[in-house]
Amino acid sequence: MSIFEYNGSALVSMVGKNCFAIASDRRLGVQLQTIATDFQRISKIHDRVFLGLSGLATDAQTLYQRLVFRHKLYQVREERDMKPVTFANLVSALLYEKRFGPYFCQPVIAGLGDEDKPFICTMDSIGAKELAKDFVVAGTASESLYGACESMFKEDMEPEELFETVSQALLSSVDRDCLSGWGGHVYVVTPTEVKERILKGRMD
Amino acid sequence: MPKEQANWSPYDNNGGSCFAVAGADYCVIAADTRMSTGYNILTRDTQKSVNYKCVMASSGFQADVKALQKHLAARHLIYQHQHNKQMSCPAMAQLLSNTLYYKRFFPYYSFNVLGGLDNEGKGCVFTYDAVGSYEKVGYSSQGSGSTLIMPFLDNQLKSPSPLLLPARDAVTPLAEAEAIDLVKTVFASASERDIYTGDKLEIVVINADGIRREYMDLRKD
Repeated sequence: MSIFEYNGSALVSMVGKNCFAIASDRRLGVQLQTIATDFQRISKIHDRVFLGLSGLATDAQTLYQRLVFRHKLYQVREERDMKPVTFANLVSALLYEKRFGPYFCQPVIAGLGDEDKPFICTMDSIGAKELAKDFVVAGTASESLYGACESMFKEDMEPEELFETVSQALLSSVDRDCLSGWGGHVYVVTPTEVKERILKGRMD
Repeated sequence: MPKEQANWSPYDNNGGSCFAVAGADYCVIAADTRMSTGYNILTRDTQKSVNYKCVMASSGFQADVKALQKHLAARHLIYQHQHNKQMSCPAMAQLLSNTLYYKRFFPYYSFNVLGGLDNEGKGCVFTYDAVGSYEKVGYSSQGSGSTLIMPFLDNQLKSPSPLLLPARDAVTPLAEAEAIDLVKTVFASASERDIYTGDKLEIVVINADGIRREYMDLRKD
């Protein structure tokens, strides 16, 4: 089994009209045994930037701690929050530092940039950024997520419709992947509020 | 002394996806027409489906697919000579399974879906693995695009669990035109993200009127 498939994960982020959604599954496993069914894969860096980390959970946790540290330092020095593009560059740089002994993670970064324009990107485990205008996926269920999102995505969805689309795409995709599932965690972020919702799905 | 490993494989993967869905009185089978090897395209215009009374679509190693199709054609002809009728879909399904398992220890690298109408005129789809394990289902996809297609189909066609009692029907309540639209949508999405799927889509529809073929263009990149 590949090291990226050790814990199992599913992450997806989609762009809507002046909003974005980022969603993950909730399973934490050790190969085929499920250890936790409430694992948080998505973290808030600040009100307008969210980070999801798929892949090896220990590396995800370490990377998250390092990034929070760097962001707090940035806040102290610049007296403001990091823009999503800047944060993505930071993640990319941190990952490439470990080019010959990488973190086994695939991050998904989502945020609202200047003029409330939604920004999403993903990168591989050594920091190669992939910007997208519609959606990005990561994790063991990524192939299923590609198919589901490609079929279900529409441009300029309002937050409520975006939530429905992301949820359906996530749940149908993790149902075809044994290593991810046990419900879902969806964040829908608009310039005025952040809505966090837990999805009920197949618990297997 | 460590065992020497062969650096030649008798198999190759020519890519592609195929898909079938069963309805109340029809069956739709579809496959793309791209044949590739590695990162190259061998042809944009191959045929992955073959019909008898039912239609079999296969993806995987096309040489094994052709050999399998030849074998089944011969067996079908013999059946017609011996029984004075064409093989029904469930009969062909069993024959395909047995043929595949016969080569259990040097398999046909062929991932098949078989679609047709059963004896009552209802649509039926059978899905196979490379060594002949098969199951009657309401819809199925095989090939490189199947991991992309299946979750979306699960979402749209919501097959009942095979564990329920009494056994529920897996055929979709969708109308034939809607099912064809679904097939087109699904392959368009798969072509976007799967490099081995694209070029053209061949759709075969079986209903009480017979078998008809239609084609749709897909992305050529």
